[in-house]
Amino acid sequence: MIEARRLSKRFGPVEALRDVSFRTQKGAITAMLGENGAGKTTTLKIVLGFLRPDAGAVTIAPGRVGYIPDRPAYFPWVDGWTILELGRSVRGGRDNGNGRDFRARVLAAARELLFDPGLLGRRPGSYSAGNLRKFAYLQNLVAGPDALVVDEPYASLDPPSIKAVRDVFCGLRDAGKTVLLSSHMLAEMERIADAFIVLRRGATIAHAGLREWRVLRSARSAPDLESVFLRLAGP
Amino acid sequence: MPDTALLALTWRVTKRRFLASWPAIVAGLAFPACIVWAGIGDSYGTAAKLFYFLLPHVFLVAAQDGVRTDLESGALENTLFAAGRFRGFLRAKGLVTAAAAGGYALLLFGLFAAWGLLLGAFRPDDLVKFALALLAGLYYAALAGVLGHVLRGGSNVLSLLLAQAAAVMALVFTASSRTGLLDYIAAGTFPRLGPKLAFGGFVALLPNLIVAGRPSVFAAEVLAGLGLAWAVNERLIRKLELRNGRSA
Repeated sequence: MIEARRLSKRFGPVEALRDVSFRTQKGAITAMLGENGAGKTTTLKIVLGFLRPDAGAVTIAPGRVGYIPDRPAYFPWVDGWTILELGRSVRGGRDNGNGRDFRARVLAAARELLFDPGLLGRRPGSYSAGNLRKFAYLQNLVAGPDALVVDEPYASLDPPSIKAVRDVFCGLRDAGKTVLLSSHMLAEMERIADAFIVLRRGATIAHAGLREWRVLRSARSAPDLESVFLRLAGP
Repeated sequence: MPDTALLALTWRVTKRRFLASWPAIVAGLAFPACIVWAGIGDSYGTAAKLFYFLLPHVFLVAAQDGVRTDLESGALENTLFAAGRFRGFLRAKGLVTAAAAGGYALLLFGLFAAWGLLLGAFRPDDLVKFALALLAGLYYAALAGVLGHVLRGGSNVLSLLLAQAAAVMALVFTASSRTGLLDYIAAGTFPRLGPKLAFGGFVALLPNLIVAGRPSVFAAEVLAGLGLAWAVNERLIRKLELRNGRSA
Protein backbone atom coordinates (compact mmCIF):
# COMPACT_ATOMS: atom_id res chain seq x y z
CA MET A 1 0.00 0.00 0.00
CA ILE A 2 1.26 3.46 -0.90
CA GLU A 3 -0.53 6.53 0.38
CA ALA A 4 0.29 10.13 -0.49
CA ARG A 5 -1.40 12.94 1.39
CA ARG A 6 -1.58 16.52 0.14
CA LEU A 7 1.88 16.58 -1.45
CA SER A 8 3.27 19.88 -2.64
CA LYS A 9 6.66 20.67 -4.12
CA ARG A 10 8.28 23.74 -5.66
CA PHE A 11 11.44 23.96 -7.75
CA GLY A 12 12.32 27.62 -7.37
CA PRO A 13 9.55 29.59 -9.05
CA VAL A 14 7.94 26.48 -10.54
CA GLU A 15 5.15 24.87 -8.56
CA ALA A 16 5.55 21.21 -9.57
CA LEU A 17 2.96 19.81 -7.13
CA ARG A 18 0.30 21.70 -5.21
CA ASP A 19 -2.10 19.07 -3.94
CA VAL A 20 -1.51 15.42 -4.77
CA SER A 21 -3.25 12.74 -2.75
CA PHE A 22 -3.89 9.09 -3.56
CA ARG A 23 -3.85 5.63 -2.10
CA THR A 24 -2.92 2.40 -3.86
CA GLN A 25 -4.01 -1.03 -2.70
CA LYS A 26 -2.29 -4.38 -2.32
CA GLY A 27 -3.08 -6.75 -5.15
CA ALA A 28 -3.95 -3.93 -7.52
CA ILE A 29 -2.38 -2.11 -10.44
CA THR A 30 -2.82 1.64 -10.17
CA ALA A 31 -2.20 3.85 -13.21
CA MET A 32 -1.11 7.43 -12.74
CA LEU A 33 -2.09 9.53 -15.72
CA GLY A 34 -1.47 13.12 -16.64
CA GLU A 35 -0.23 15.32 -19.41
CA ASN A 36 3.44 16.31 -19.70
CA GLY A 37 4.46 18.40 -16.70
CA ALA A 38 1.45 17.33 -14.63
CA GLY A 39 3.76 16.20 -11.81
CA LYS A 40 3.76 12.41 -12.25
CA THR A 41 7.52 11.89 -12.11
CA THR A 42 7.92 14.37 -9.25
CA THR A 43 5.23 12.49 -7.34
CA LEU A 44 6.96 9.15 -7.92
CA LYS A 45 10.31 10.58 -6.84
CA ILE A 46 8.75 11.84 -3.62
CA VAL A 47 7.15 8.44 -3.04
CA LEU A 48 10.57 6.80 -3.53
CA GLY A 49 12.38 9.28 -1.29
CA PHE A 50 14.52 10.88 -4.00
CA LEU A 51 12.81 14.23 -3.43
CA ARG A 52 11.43 15.73 -0.24
CA PRO A 53 7.95 17.24 -0.35
CA ASP A 54 7.56 20.83 0.81
CA ALA A 55 4.36 19.73 2.50
CA GLY A 56 2.36 16.54 2.80
CA ALA A 57 3.46 13.02 3.58
CA VAL A 58 3.89 9.58 2.06
CA THR A 59 3.20 6.31 3.84
CA ILE A 60 4.38 2.99 2.41
CA ALA A 61 3.54 -0.38 3.91
CA PRO A 62 6.64 -2.20 5.20
CA GLY A 63 8.43 -4.26 2.57
CA ARG A 64 10.65 -3.87 -0.46
CA VAL A 65 9.78 -1.18 -2.94
CA GLY A 66 11.10 -1.60 -6.46
CA TYR A 67 11.49 1.35 -8.80
CA ILE A 68 12.11 1.72 -12.50
CA PRO A 69 12.71 5.30 -13.61
CA ASP A 70 11.79 6.64 -17.04
CA ARG A 71 15.47 6.55 -18.02
CA PRO A 72 17.32 3.83 -16.10
CA ALA A 73 21.02 4.50 -15.61
CA TYR A 74 23.83 2.66 -13.87
CA PHE A 75 27.39 3.27 -12.75
CA PRO A 76 29.40 3.08 -15.98
CA TRP A 77 32.16 0.87 -14.55
CA VAL A 78 30.08 -2.12 -13.43
CA ASP A 79 28.56 -4.93 -15.47
CA GLY A 80 25.06 -6.36 -15.21
CA TRP A 81 25.94 -9.26 -12.92
CA THR A 82 27.72 -6.93 -10.51
CA ILE A 83 24.68 -4.66 -10.26
CA LEU A 84 22.45 -7.64 -9.50
CA GLU A 85 24.99 -8.83 -6.92
CA LEU A 86 25.05 -5.37 -5.33
CA GLY A 87 21.30 -5.58 -4.83
CA ARG A 88 21.71 -9.01 -3.31
CA SER A 89 24.40 -7.77 -0.91
CA VAL A 90 22.16 -4.89 0.23
CA ARG A 91 19.40 -7.39 0.97
CA GLY A 92 21.76 -9.40 3.13
CA GLY A 93 22.76 -11.91 0.45
CA ARG A 94 20.83 -14.86 1.84
CA ASP A 95 17.27 -14.06 0.86
CA ASN A 96 17.84 -15.50 -2.60
CA GLY A 97 19.53 -18.65 -1.39
CA ASN A 98 23.11 -19.48 -2.31
CA GLY A 99 24.93 -18.20 -5.37
CA ARG A 100 23.57 -20.97 -7.60
CA ASP A 101 19.98 -20.31 -6.49
CA PHE A 102 20.46 -16.63 -7.12
CA ARG A 103 21.83 -17.27 -10.61
CA ALA A 104 18.90 -19.58 -11.39
CA ARG A 105 16.49 -16.94 -10.17
CA VAL A 106 18.15 -14.30 -12.36
CA LEU A 107 18.02 -16.56 -15.42
CA ALA A 108 14.35 -17.39 -14.82
CA ALA A 109 13.46 -13.70 -14.50
CA ALA A 110 15.50 -12.91 -17.63
CA ARG A 111 13.54 -15.54 -19.57
CA GLU A 112 10.28 -14.08 -18.30
CA LEU A 113 11.34 -10.63 -19.53
CA LEU A 114 12.78 -11.85 -22.87
CA PHE A 115 16.14 -10.46 -21.75
CA ASP A 116 19.29 -12.09 -23.12
CA PRO A 117 21.29 -13.19 -20.03
CA GLY A 118 24.45 -13.09 -22.15
CA LEU A 119 24.27 -9.32 -21.83
CA LEU A 120 24.81 -9.50 -18.06
CA GLY A 121 28.57 -9.79 -18.56
CA ARG A 122 28.55 -6.38 -20.24
CA ARG A 123 28.05 -2.91 -18.80
CA PRO A 124 24.43 -1.68 -18.96
CA GLY A 125 25.66 1.52 -20.63
CA SER A 126 26.33 -0.59 -23.73
CA TYR A 127 22.77 -2.03 -23.87
CA SER A 128 20.12 -0.80 -26.28
CA ALA A 129 17.40 1.37 -24.71
CA GLY A 130 14.96 -1.56 -24.72
CA ASN A 131 17.43 -3.96 -23.12
CA LEU A 132 18.38 -1.34 -20.55
CA ARG A 133 14.74 -1.08 -19.50
CA LYS A 134 14.38 -4.85 -19.39
CA PHE A 135 17.51 -5.02 -17.26
CA ALA A 136 15.94 -2.50 -14.86
CA TYR A 137 12.91 -4.81 -14.60
CA LEU A 138 15.23 -7.74 -14.04
CA GLN A 139 17.08 -5.95 -11.23
CA ASN A 140 13.79 -5.23 -9.48
CA LEU A 141 12.14 -8.60 -10.05
CA VAL A 142 15.12 -10.52 -8.72
CA ALA A 143 14.79 -8.49 -5.51
CA GLY A 144 11.21 -9.75 -5.04
CA PRO A 145 9.43 -6.42 -4.49
CA ASP A 146 6.34 -6.00 -2.32
CA ALA A 147 5.51 -2.87 -4.29
CA LEU A 148 6.73 -1.85 -7.73
CA VAL A 149 6.72 1.74 -8.98
CA VAL A 150 7.39 2.27 -12.68
CA ASP A 151 7.71 5.49 -14.65
CA GLU A 152 6.80 4.99 -18.33
CA PRO A 153 6.68 1.18 -18.12
CA TYR A 154 6.69 0.46 -21.85
CA ALA A 155 9.14 3.09 -23.10
CA SER A 156 11.58 1.66 -25.70
CA LEU A 157 10.08 -1.86 -25.52
CA ASP A 158 9.09 -3.90 -28.57
CA PRO A 159 5.63 -5.56 -28.71
CA PRO A 160 6.75 -8.99 -27.38
CA SER A 161 8.54 -7.29 -24.50
CA ILE A 162 5.49 -5.13 -23.76
CA LYS A 163 3.46 -8.30 -23.44
CA ALA A 164 6.12 -9.86 -21.20
CA VAL A 165 6.17 -6.81 -18.94
CA ARG A 166 2.37 -6.71 -18.86
CA ASP A 167 2.39 -10.33 -17.69
CA VAL A 168 4.88 -9.38 -14.99
CA PHE A 169 2.57 -6.64 -13.71
CA CYS A 170 -0.41 -9.00 -13.70
CA GLY A 171 1.67 -11.67 -11.97
CA LEU A 172 2.66 -9.24 -9.23
CA ARG A 173 -0.95 -8.15 -8.81
CA ASP A 174 -2.10 -11.75 -8.57
CA ALA A 175 0.57 -12.36 -5.95
CA GLY A 176 -0.94 -9.56 -3.83
CA LYS A 177 1.74 -6.96 -4.58
CA THR A 178 1.19 -3.25 -5.17
CA VAL A 179 1.94 -1.91 -8.65
CA LEU A 180 1.97 1.82 -9.42
CA LEU A 181 2.52 2.82 -13.05
CA SER A 182 2.91 6.25 -14.56
CA SER A 183 2.19 6.15 -18.26
CA HIS A 184 0.87 7.97 -21.30
CA MET A 185 -0.25 4.72 -22.95
CA LEU A 186 -3.91 5.05 -22.04
CA ALA A 187 -5.23 2.03 -23.93
CA GLU A 188 -2.62 -0.16 -22.26
CA MET A 189 -3.44 1.26 -18.84
CA GLU A 190 -7.14 0.71 -19.37
CA ARG A 191 -6.33 -2.86 -20.24
CA ILE A 192 -4.48 -3.76 -17.04
CA ALA A 193 -5.12 -1.14 -14.34
CA ASP A 194 -7.53 -1.61 -11.46
CA ALA A 195 -7.48 2.01 -10.37
CA PHE A 196 -6.58 5.37 -11.88
CA ILE A 197 -5.12 8.60 -10.60
CA VAL A 198 -5.26 11.63 -12.89
CA LEU A 199 -2.97 14.56 -12.20
CA ARG A 200 -3.29 17.96 -13.74
CA ARG A 201 -0.98 20.90 -13.08
CA GLY A 202 0.35 19.33 -9.91
CA ALA A 203 -2.93 18.29 -8.35
CA THR A 204 -5.04 15.13 -8.24
CA ILE A 205 -8.19 15.76 -10.28
CA ALA A 206 -9.50 12.20 -10.31
CA HIS A 207 -8.81 9.08 -8.26
CA ALA A 208 -11.04 6.15 -8.97
CA GLY A 209 -11.22 2.39 -8.83
CA LEU A 210 -12.16 0.40 -11.92
CA ARG A 211 -15.87 0.31 -11.08
CA GLU A 212 -16.00 4.03 -10.33
CA TRP A 213 -14.04 4.67 -13.48
CA ARG A 214 -16.63 2.82 -15.55
CA VAL A 215 -19.38 4.88 -13.92
CA LEU A 216 -17.45 8.04 -14.67
CA ARG A 217 -16.95 6.89 -18.24
CA SER A 218 -20.62 6.16 -18.82
CA ALA A 219 -21.68 9.39 -17.09
CA ARG A 220 -19.56 11.32 -19.51
CA SER A 221 -20.62 9.18 -22.47
CA ALA A 222 -16.99 8.46 -23.17
CA PRO A 223 -16.12 5.32 -25.10
CA ASP A 224 -12.72 4.77 -23.57
CA LEU A 225 -10.13 5.96 -21.06
CA GLU A 226 -8.57 8.28 -23.60
CA SER A 227 -11.82 10.19 -24.06
CA VAL A 228 -12.33 10.51 -20.30
CA PHE A 229 -8.73 11.58 -19.82
CA LEU A 230 -8.91 14.20 -22.55
CA ARG A 231 -12.08 15.65 -21.04
CA LEU A 232 -10.59 15.69 -17.53
CA ALA A 233 -7.17 16.96 -18.50
CA GLY A 234 -8.31 19.24 -21.28
CA PRO A 235 -8.29 23.02 -21.05
CA MET B 1 26.70 6.72 10.29
CA PRO B 2 25.87 4.56 7.27
CA ASP B 3 24.66 1.01 7.89
CA THR B 4 26.98 -1.92 7.23
CA ALA B 5 25.10 -3.16 4.12
CA LEU B 6 25.38 0.30 2.58
CA LEU B 7 29.08 0.46 3.51
CA ALA B 8 29.63 -2.94 1.88
CA LEU B 9 27.81 -1.83 -1.28
CA THR B 10 29.77 1.42 -1.35
CA TRP B 11 33.03 -0.46 -0.94
CA ARG B 12 32.20 -2.77 -3.88
CA VAL B 13 31.21 0.15 -6.10
CA THR B 14 34.30 2.16 -5.10
CA LYS B 15 36.65 -0.79 -5.63
CA ARG B 16 35.27 -1.32 -9.13
CA ARG B 17 35.60 2.40 -9.83
CA PHE B 18 39.27 2.43 -8.80
CA LEU B 19 40.02 -0.66 -10.87
CA ALA B 20 38.32 0.89 -13.92
CA SER B 21 40.10 4.25 -13.55
CA TRP B 22 43.42 4.19 -15.41
CA PRO B 23 44.46 7.69 -14.20
CA ALA B 24 44.10 6.49 -10.59
CA ILE B 25 46.05 3.30 -11.34
CA VAL B 26 48.82 5.18 -13.19
CA ALA B 27 49.08 7.79 -10.41
CA GLY B 28 49.01 5.08 -7.75
CA LEU B 29 51.91 3.22 -9.39
CA ALA B 30 53.87 6.28 -10.50
CA PHE B 31 54.10 7.58 -6.91
CA PRO B 32 56.08 4.64 -5.42
CA ALA B 33 58.14 4.40 -8.63
CA CYS B 34 59.11 8.04 -8.20
CA ILE B 35 60.10 7.44 -4.56
CA VAL B 36 62.23 4.41 -5.46
CA TRP B 37 63.87 6.40 -8.24
CA ALA B 38 64.72 9.22 -5.80
CA GLY B 39 65.99 6.77 -3.20
CA ILE B 40 68.25 4.91 -5.62
CA GLY B 41 69.39 7.97 -7.54
CA ASP B 42 70.05 10.13 -4.50
CA SER B 43 69.49 8.94 -0.94
CA TYR B 44 66.87 7.46 1.38
CA GLY B 45 66.65 10.86 3.07
CA THR B 46 65.72 12.56 -0.19
CA ALA B 47 63.21 9.81 -0.94
CA ALA B 48 61.73 10.26 2.55
CA LYS B 49 61.24 14.01 2.05
CA LEU B 50 59.51 13.34 -1.27
CA PHE B 51 57.48 10.42 0.15
CA TYR B 52 55.97 12.28 3.11
CA PHE B 53 55.41 15.43 1.10
CA LEU B 54 53.60 13.71 -1.78
CA LEU B 55 51.71 11.09 0.23
CA PRO B 56 48.65 13.35 0.86
CA HIS B 57 48.11 13.54 -2.90
CA VAL B 58 47.16 9.84 -2.86
CA PHE B 59 43.97 10.94 -1.08
CA LEU B 60 43.43 13.76 -3.54
CA VAL B 61 43.63 11.48 -6.57
CA ALA B 62 41.36 8.93 -4.89
CA ALA B 63 38.70 11.59 -4.24
CA GLN B 64 38.46 12.66 -7.87
CA ASP B 65 34.91 11.39 -8.54
CA GLY B 66 32.69 13.65 -6.50
CA VAL B 67 29.00 13.90 -5.76
CA ARG B 68 28.18 15.70 -9.01
CA THR B 69 29.62 12.85 -11.09
CA ASP B 70 27.27 10.39 -9.41
CA LEU B 71 24.29 12.72 -9.61
CA GLU B 72 24.75 13.40 -13.31
CA SER B 73 25.25 9.73 -14.13
CA GLY B 74 21.65 9.10 -13.03
CA ALA B 75 22.86 5.93 -11.30
CA LEU B 76 21.62 7.07 -7.89
CA GLU B 77 18.02 7.05 -9.09
CA ASN B 78 17.84 3.35 -8.48
CA THR B 79 16.01 1.01 -6.12
CA LEU B 80 19.33 0.47 -4.33
CA PHE B 81 19.35 4.11 -3.26
CA ALA B 82 15.62 4.71 -2.67
CA ALA B 83 14.18 5.98 0.62
CA GLY B 84 16.96 8.55 0.87
CA ARG B 85 19.71 5.87 0.83
CA PHE B 86 21.54 7.84 -1.87
CA ARG B 87 22.52 10.30 0.87
CA GLY B 88 23.91 7.47 2.98
CA PHE B 89 25.77 6.16 -0.08
CA LEU B 90 27.39 9.55 -0.71
CA ARG B 91 28.43 9.82 2.93
CA ALA B 92 29.78 6.28 2.90
CA LYS B 93 31.57 6.97 -0.38
CA GLY B 94 33.62 9.72 1.30
CA LEU B 95 34.54 7.39 4.16
CA VAL B 96 35.32 4.44 1.91
CA THR B 97 37.44 6.55 -0.45
CA ALA B 98 39.43 7.97 2.45
CA ALA B 99 39.80 4.49 3.97
CA ALA B 100 40.98 3.00 0.66
CA ALA B 101 43.52 5.80 0.17
CA GLY B 102 44.58 5.42 3.80
CA GLY B 103 45.02 1.67 3.35
CA TYR B 104 47.18 2.21 0.28
CA ALA B 105 49.18 4.91 2.10
CA LEU B 106 49.72 2.51 5.02
CA LEU B 107 50.91 -0.22 2.64
CA LEU B 108 53.37 2.16 0.99
CA PHE B 109 54.54 3.44 4.39
CA GLY B 110 55.11 -0.12 5.56
CA LEU B 111 57.26 -0.88 2.53
CA PHE B 112 59.09 2.43 2.77
CA ALA B 113 59.73 2.02 6.49
CA ALA B 114 61.03 -1.52 5.90
CA TRP B 115 63.41 -0.15 3.28
CA GLY B 116 64.57 2.51 5.77
CA LEU B 117 65.04 -0.02 8.54
CA LEU B 118 67.15 -2.21 6.24
CA LEU B 119 69.36 0.79 5.48
CA GLY B 120 69.31 1.95 9.11
CA ALA B 121 67.94 5.29 7.93
CA PHE B 122 64.39 5.13 9.37
CA ARG B 123 63.87 7.57 12.25
CA PRO B 124 61.12 7.60 14.90
CA ASP B 125 59.96 11.08 13.86
CA ASP B 126 59.08 9.55 10.48
CA LEU B 127 56.00 8.19 12.27
CA VAL B 128 54.97 11.75 13.12
CA LYS B 129 55.51 12.80 9.53
CA PHE B 130 53.39 9.89 8.33
CA ALA B 131 50.60 10.86 10.74
CA LEU B 132 50.77 14.46 9.50
CA ALA B 133 50.70 13.26 5.88
CA LEU B 134 47.56 11.24 6.69
CA LEU B 135 45.97 14.31 8.27
CA ALA B 136 46.77 16.39 5.19
CA GLY B 137 45.41 13.56 3.00
CA LEU B 138 42.13 13.43 4.92
CA TYR B 139 41.84 17.20 4.53
CA TYR B 140 42.33 16.77 0.77
CA ALA B 141 39.66 14.07 0.61
CA ALA B 142 37.18 16.28 2.49
CA LEU B 143 38.04 19.36 0.42
CA ALA B 144 37.75 17.43 -2.87
CA GLY B 145 34.42 16.10 -1.57
CA VAL B 146 33.09 19.62 -1.11
CA LEU B 147 34.42 20.73 -4.52
CA GLY B 148 32.86 17.57 -6.00
CA HIS B 149 29.39 19.02 -5.32
CA VAL B 150 29.96 21.67 -7.98
CA LEU B 151 32.73 20.24 -10.19
CA ARG B 152 32.53 17.02 -12.21
CA GLY B 153 34.82 14.03 -11.75
CA GLY B 154 38.49 14.95 -12.04
CA SER B 155 37.95 18.68 -12.38
CA ASN B 156 37.63 19.06 -8.59
CA VAL B 157 41.14 17.61 -8.23
CA LEU B 158 42.50 19.42 -11.28
CA SER B 159 41.25 22.79 -10.03
CA LEU B 160 42.99 22.23 -6.71
CA LEU B 161 46.24 21.20 -8.42
CA LEU B 162 46.11 24.25 -10.68
CA ALA B 163 45.48 26.51 -7.69
CA GLN B 164 48.47 24.93 -5.93
CA ALA B 165 50.68 25.41 -8.98
CA ALA B 166 49.56 29.04 -9.27
CA ALA B 167 50.26 29.66 -5.57
CA VAL B 168 53.74 28.13 -5.78
CA MET B 169 54.55 30.14 -8.90
CA ALA B 170 53.28 33.32 -7.25
CA LEU B 171 55.48 32.61 -4.26
CA VAL B 172 58.54 32.02 -6.41
CA PHE B 173 58.00 35.03 -8.66
CA THR B 174 57.40 37.40 -5.72
CA ALA B 175 60.51 36.22 -3.92
CA SER B 176 62.95 39.07 -3.30
CA SER B 177 66.48 39.42 -2.07
CA ARG B 178 65.14 40.37 1.35
CA THR B 179 64.16 37.68 3.82
CA GLY B 180 60.73 36.49 2.79
CA LEU B 181 58.17 33.72 3.11
CA LEU B 182 60.37 31.19 1.28
CA ASP B 183 63.12 31.72 3.84
CA TYR B 184 60.65 31.42 6.70
CA ILE B 185 59.30 28.18 5.23
CA ALA B 186 62.83 26.84 4.81
CA ALA B 187 63.67 27.80 8.39
CA GLY B 188 60.31 26.66 9.72
CA THR B 189 59.89 29.85 11.78
CA PHE B 190 57.54 32.74 11.19
CA PRO B 191 58.60 35.77 13.22
CA ARG B 192 55.59 38.07 12.65
CA LEU B 193 51.84 37.75 12.22
CA GLY B 194 51.93 38.64 8.50
CA PRO B 195 54.13 35.72 7.43
CA LYS B 196 52.17 33.42 9.76
CA LEU B 197 48.88 34.35 8.08
CA ALA B 198 50.42 34.10 4.60
CA PHE B 199 51.76 30.64 5.40
CA GLY B 200 48.41 29.69 6.94
CA GLY B 201 46.68 30.58 3.66
CA PHE B 202 49.28 28.60 1.78
CA VAL B 203 48.77 25.56 4.04
CA ALA B 204 45.01 25.67 3.41
CA LEU B 205 45.78 25.24 -0.29
CA LEU B 206 48.80 22.95 0.03
CA PRO B 207 48.45 21.09 3.35
CA ASN B 208 51.47 18.91 2.48
CA LEU B 209 53.53 21.76 3.93
CA ILE B 210 52.72 20.67 7.49
CA VAL B 211 54.94 17.64 6.92
CA ALA B 212 57.90 19.85 5.99
CA GLY B 213 57.44 22.87 8.29
CA ARG B 214 56.99 23.33 12.04
CA PRO B 215 53.71 21.46 12.30
CA SER B 216 51.88 22.20 15.56
CA VAL B 217 49.87 25.35 14.78
CA PHE B 218 49.45 24.59 11.10
CA ALA B 219 48.51 20.96 11.76
CA ALA B 220 45.77 22.33 13.99
CA GLU B 221 44.74 24.59 11.12
CA VAL B 222 44.51 21.61 8.75
CA LEU B 223 42.56 19.66 11.37
CA ALA B 224 40.12 22.58 11.67
CA GLY B 225 39.89 22.73 7.86
CA LEU B 226 39.13 19.01 7.81
CA GLY B 227 36.33 19.50 10.33
CA LEU B 228 34.93 22.46 8.42
CA ALA B 229 35.03 20.66 5.05
CA TRP B 230 33.37 17.60 6.60
CA ALA B 231 30.61 19.77 8.12
CA VAL B 232 29.99 21.59 4.82
CA ASN B 233 29.92 18.28 2.93
CA GLU B 234 27.46 16.82 5.44
CA ARG B 235 25.18 19.85 5.16
CA LEU B 236 25.23 19.72 1.35
CA ILE B 237 24.43 16.00 1.33
CA ARG B 238 21.62 16.42 3.85
CA LYS B 239 19.96 18.99 1.57
CA LEU B 240 20.49 16.95 -1.57
CA GLU B 241 17.61 15.77 -3.75
CA LEU B 242 17.63 13.88 -7.05
CA ARG B 243 15.97 15.91 -9.75
CA ASN B 244 16.56 14.90 -13.37
CA GLY B 245 19.96 13.51 -12.43
CA ARG B 246 20.97 16.85 -10.93
CA SER B 247 20.90 18.21 -7.43
CA ALA B 248 17.95 20.40 -6.59
